[in-house]
Amino acid sequence: MSVALVIGALLAVVSVVLVAAPFLREPVAADDRLLQPDAAQQRLLARAEERDRALDALKELEFDHRTGKVSDEDYRAQVGVLRQRAAAALREADG
Amino acid sequence: MPGKRSPARLIVALSVAAVLAVFLLYTSIAGGGTPSLQPSQLAGHAGRVSLVGIVAGQPSGDAHAAGLHFLIRDRHAMTSVPVVYKGSVPDMFKTGREVVVDGKLRHGMFVAVPGTLVTKCPSKYTPKK
Amino acid sequence: MPDLGRAALVTSFLLLVYASAAGAFAAWHGRRRLAESAQNALIAAFGSTAVAVVILLTALARHDFSYTYVAQHTSRELPLGYTLTAFWGGQEGSLLLWLFVLCGYSVAAVLTARRAGREVIAWVVPVLGVVASFFAFLLVFVASPFATQAAPADGAGLNPSLQNPYMAVHPPLLYLGYVGLTVPFAFAMGALLARRTDERWIVATRRWTLAAWAFLGVGQLLGAHWAYVEIGWGGYYAWDPVENAALMPWLAATAFLHSVMIQEKRGMLKVWNVLLVVLAFCLSIFGTFLTRSGIIQSIHSFTQSSIGPWFLGFICFVTAASLALVFSRLPLLRAKTRLESLVSREATFLYNNLLLVALALTILWGVIYPLLSEAVTGEAATVSKPYYNFFLHSFGLPLLLLMGIGPLVAWRRASLRALGKTFLWPTAAALTAGVALLAAGAGSSRIGVIAYTFSVFVLATIVLEFARGTTARKALGGVGWGGAFTSLVARNRRRYGGYVVHAAVVLLAIGVAGSSAYQTVRETRLHPGDSMTVAGNRLVFRGFESSLAGNHRAIRANVDVYRGGEYLGRYRPGKNQYFAEDQVSNEVSIRHDLLTGGDLFMIADQVNTDGSVDLKVLQKPLVNLIWLAGLVFVGGSLIALWPDAREERRLAERYEGVTVRA
Repeated sequence: MSVALVIGALLAVVSVVLVAAPFLREPVAADDRLLQPDAAQQRLLARAEERDRALDALKELEFDHRTGKVSDEDYRAQVGVLRQRAAAALREADG
Repeated sequence: MPGKRSPARLIVALSVAAVLAVFLLYTSIAGGGTPSLQPSQLAGHAGRVSLVGIVAGQPSGDAHAAGLHFLIRDRHAMTSVPVVYKGSVPDMFKTGREVVVDGKLRHGMFVAVPGTLVTKCPSKYTPKK
Repeated sequence: MPDLGRAALVTSFLLLVYASAAGAFAAWHGRRRLAESAQNALIAAFGSTAVAVVILLTALARHDFSYTYVAQHTSRELPLGYTLTAFWGGQEGSLLLWLFVLCGYSVAAVLTARRAGREVIAWVVPVLGVVASFFAFLLVFVASPFATQAAPADGAGLNPSLQNPYMAVHPPLLYLGYVGLTVPFAFAMGALLARRTDERWIVATRRWTLAAWAFLGVGQLLGAHWAYVEIGWGGYYAWDPVENAALMPWLAATAFLHSVMIQEKRGMLKVWNVLLVVLAFCLSIFGTFLTRSGIIQSIHSFTQSSIGPWFLGFICFVTAASLALVFSRLPLLRAKTRLESLVSREATFLYNNLLLVALALTILWGVIYPLLSEAVTGEAATVSKPYYNFFLHSFGLPLLLLMGIGPLVAWRRASLRALGKTFLWPTAAALTAGVALLAAGAGSSRIGVIAYTFSVFVLATIVLEFARGTTARKALGGVGWGGAFTSLVARNRRRYGGYVVHAAVVLLAIGVAGSSAYQTVRETRLHPGDSMTVAGNRLVFRGFESSLAGNHRAIRANVDVYRGGEYLGRYRPGKNQYFAEDQVSNEVSIRHDLLTGGDLFMIADQVNTDGSVDLKVLQKPLVNLIWLAGLVFVGGSLIALWPDAREERRLAERYEGVTVRA
């Protein structure tokens, strides 16, 4: 029974300490704000995703063309559009 | 939001329609399911039903010859019906177990479809008394 | 000790409630330290749940029958291994396992996300906390594994069909799958709650979803194998509600894994993806509910229990809350791009999604049909095998075909001319196979021939994809064939791992079609010396043998099998009689033919007092491909799961770059 008590007490103490740890470590926080992207950052994120998406699409089209999945005419019809889109996305994301 | 008529919506609409059509086709051909009844609810059902209940009485006879005879009673009542069954008998089958078996009621005797006897397998075992 | 167990669970419950409440408050008001404290509470809850787990395991190992749970699920003669696995043999233990696994997942997801995606998890913690609190609540107030009683001399024993090595792996794997689906759910809800419009949550949960889905798949196949070799009726899947319970979330998760790729590549289907995550999670909770509540007639339903209503309430709450949340965030989820053509990779993914969801929902309809019909007509009615088989054929076969079509169609749009070229070889292969099969007499089952033709088509596509990819990679120069192949797979693990999984599904389809559409069944009463013939095999019954082994008596029928005069060996189907459990269990004997992949499946259906046996024999062609499919499935999943350092770095840069700059 006493073993159980010791383990139980230990468990309770460890739990409380763990939960309180962030406040024990910094009783007074210089900056207690949670890192959350604001609207501008969200837009940046969306642009970065858009850029990667456009680049991936271009890469995939090249690869599919090489493997023969995309015919020459389909490739010619699409590659221009995708290149433009990727260039635009790159400008947006880095600009 | 570009264009109102997105092909995606067309696909979804057509597919949902197709799925519903398949579904309706099935239910119209095969009808609803098999009624699942306890012995006390059997009266008046001439077609195939699935009988659910507790095995009562000492099972007798040979499931691989003339047939195994036993009683099935309601879960919480004593109404019971005699059953004759042929085919594989599950491991768990014995008096007091809950079973499900398909068949038809004929002249007061529930004639089971061969091979449809299934026991419910409880995870809890009551200790032997 | 049982008091400590209860105390540990109460501690877990309090910690989880704190994690939910404080976490939600912190996320709402943007308090960093409080959010960290909530995360720590989640970690502490994992620790205290682990203590409860250890206590229950110790009690089981020590045969401490003063624990009601131990007394009800084990006995003194039960071997130690099964005594420990009895942990998840009953309801309370299973719930504890659920909670333990959920806490484990939460801790792992939160800790890895701390590194990779700190800013998304503030809302994820309370969502995980709420789900875990529910299970902790059940364990504390409704179904405690630490209930005690005056210790009886011996326990009631474990269900004999659970006394099986599969018991050690099948339930934990299924739980890893079921519970794992909580992670993508929590991240999806977290992203919505935080009004995030980017795809951070998808990137963070990609691997978790894949892992949970793989566990669920493997768990089910193991369950099927268990049923096949142990339960002994000659099948592996019976469309039982409890089996369907695991299949439904798996189908939903499969749909999600596909459609999420469209969101990543094209930024479309955002609402649909969130809905699929919710569906998969709700189905996994519903699955647990089905298994545990006994609300629906099932062969392995467990005794009617008090947790049913709680589960139902929780499912309703989760469904309503998540749908309301999705609805309130609809403007954020608007897609910027749209489907360009009905003939494109995206479109085939969409068809595949609709079929998968349709299949999952028709199965759900079948499962709850008894409840619905009782509510409407006052009389419960059940649907059985023909219903499920019908929908498996009408949705599963097109799915199989799509698995071959999808990889051949280019993204965005494909001209019919190009399609004609890429489809040429697979179609030719499929048609040749179809004709050959018909010539070989496989026409006895139309569905079987269709399934095989489609399977050949898909396999041809997969081979072609690998071959063309490798050739194209090699053409870039600098590598040999082997190098080109490995670099092809390594550079796009999800895609090529996915193709391997497709190959596994094809093997599964071939095995299922072969063993169900083309099986032979014979049943005869044999006296010693009698023989029977099944699909070219002659079986001679040589009499019974009986022996005593630990907690049971084993009766075996000696059966000699011959084929064309050649002696293939002695097989010993029989029955075991368990004493403590007062139960009989069928012990089947199976002759595997590794060359043809078929099995000769022998069941001593009835042991008669006059020394004769009712022998049931099934010849199941190709059934072993199902188990082979399991191995291939694991291999494909591992390829897809294997971390790709380059990809990780790219994603980390994408997200870190933006957050740091600000």
